[in-house]
Amino acid sequence: MEHATTSVPALELRGLTKRYDDGFLALEGFDMTVPAGEFFGLLGPNGAGKTTLISAVCNLIRTTGGEIRIFGRDHRVAEARRLIGLAEQDINLDRFLDVEETLLYHGGYYGMSRAHAKRRAAEMMEIMDLSGKAKTRAPKLSGGMRRRLLIARALMHEPPLLILDEPTAGVDFELRLDLWQYIRRLHGEGTTVLLTTHYLEEAEELCNEIALIRGGRLLARDSADGLRAHYGVETLADVYVKAMAAAA
Amino acid sequence: MSAIDPASAEATAPTGSLADRHRGLIALSGREVNRVLKLWQQTIAAPVVSSFLFILVFGLSLGSRISGVEGVDYDVFIVPGLVTMAMVQAAYSNNSSSVFQARFDRYINDVLASPMKSWEVNLGLSLGGAVRALLIAIALVLLALPVVSVPVEHPLELVLAVFLALVLFSSLGVIVGVYAQSWDHASFVQNIVIVPLSFLGGTFYSVDTLPSPWQEISHVNPLFFVINAVRYGFLGVSDVSVWLSLGVMAALAAVMVAWSSWLFSTGRKLKA
Repeated sequence: MEHATTSVPALELRGLTKRYDDGFLALEGFDMTVPAGEFFGLLGPNGAGKTTLISAVCNLIRTTGGEIRIFGRDHRVAEARRLIGLAEQDINLDRFLDVEETLLYHGGYYGMSRAHAKRRAAEMMEIMDLSGKAKTRAPKLSGGMRRRLLIARALMHEPPLLILDEPTAGVDFELRLDLWQYIRRLHGEGTTVLLTTHYLEEAEELCNEIALIRGGRLLARDSADGLRAHYGVETLADVYVKAMAAAA
Repeated sequence: MSAIDPASAEATAPTGSLADRHRGLIALSGREVNRVLKLWQQTIAAPVVSSFLFILVFGLSLGSRISGVEGVDYDVFIVPGLVTMAMVQAAYSNNSSSVFQARFDRYINDVLASPMKSWEVNLGLSLGGAVRALLIAIALVLLALPVVSVPVEHPLELVLAVFLALVLFSSLGVIVGVYAQSWDHASFVQNIVIVPLSFLGGTFYSVDTLPSPWQEISHVNPLFFVINAVRYGFLGVSDVSVWLSLGVMAALAAVMVAWSSWLFSTGRKLKA
């Protein structure tokens, strides 16, 4: 597969602010750019604002202020939404649908024709080793299969920006390695990946660039090597501890 | 590293015919109807059986002991009201439970993140209840026909009444599904509001037979107008002008549609 290159950033956040109805300020004037083609990691403790940031990008929360652009387009327009694939942290699969239906309906929501969606669903089930479970409803799948289906659904409409919110949380080591391999391949084919994870080795293994956030603020961003050099420590774990302690 | 050009990803953007441009709406409606059909024992069979039992018990057993109402045999008189009651309950409960479940399990996010327009999401979520209600109504009339002979005196008014009832209660179901914080909230509206108002709206009797002030009080019950409009369509009899009933239903349906449209266009209660 050959792809044209693009110099427009995959994701641009300018002054992004989110204050929830209960007054909690999750993000304040947050600026960040993810270049197209990047494998970008977002690290931070629980409550740092990672999921809020992702939800804002994907139109799942109402932002308080700021601007979000997806490949140069306002994130609220249909053209921008079509460019994002999201696999959320929680397994939010439709309990009434089987594996194939989950993918076909998702394709429909994203404007794919029935024939195109059928072909793509078969391809995704093959890649994610779900073909044998095509007619099995989501609640009957094992935890690992559900996680794979979630990622297959996010990729169904072939988005150039893939957002993975803790995709390997709670999955066994073997599946984690399989997912790493597949996500790496996608990135190799040109997909921009935004990954949040609590596993530092996962971020180090996969990401070209890592951003550390806490309390809705960006603390640092660089490659793993750059972060280690900046903080003068040996490991990414030490970087994390030092950065979070300084921000506390 | 060469990145995917978003222009190539936009190749999936639907263009062309009306159906092509609204594939999201078609998919979401299909999902809602699929859910109804998959759960047919619960969504179709159960309400049809319980309403048909009313026709058998109240119509055939007790009907012979009750003189006709407004010149219509009692077993025939109650059928339109029972069909209406089954329809509005189905339209409401289907949509309130489907939307609440989608919010509770958070798979509604797959729809909210998609490029669908807010009106498409609103309409797509509403259609499941409307289809379920229509299937129940058709099944109930077909089952009732061999037992009681129910005419269709005014088909145009009947179609209008059914359409407005479906819009009104499908939208109400979606609204409650969006606001509900627990299953109890959704079932509260059904059990404490819709069912009692259906019984008090003249399903089993003509409100004209009630003494004052109950007759006047009945006129503030929206279900009174819905039942009377449907009854007029079937039997040609009604306690009030059918056009008044249709007018009240149209006004209420407009309010519900406006309310649900506002929820989906602003994201209120759907998005934190």
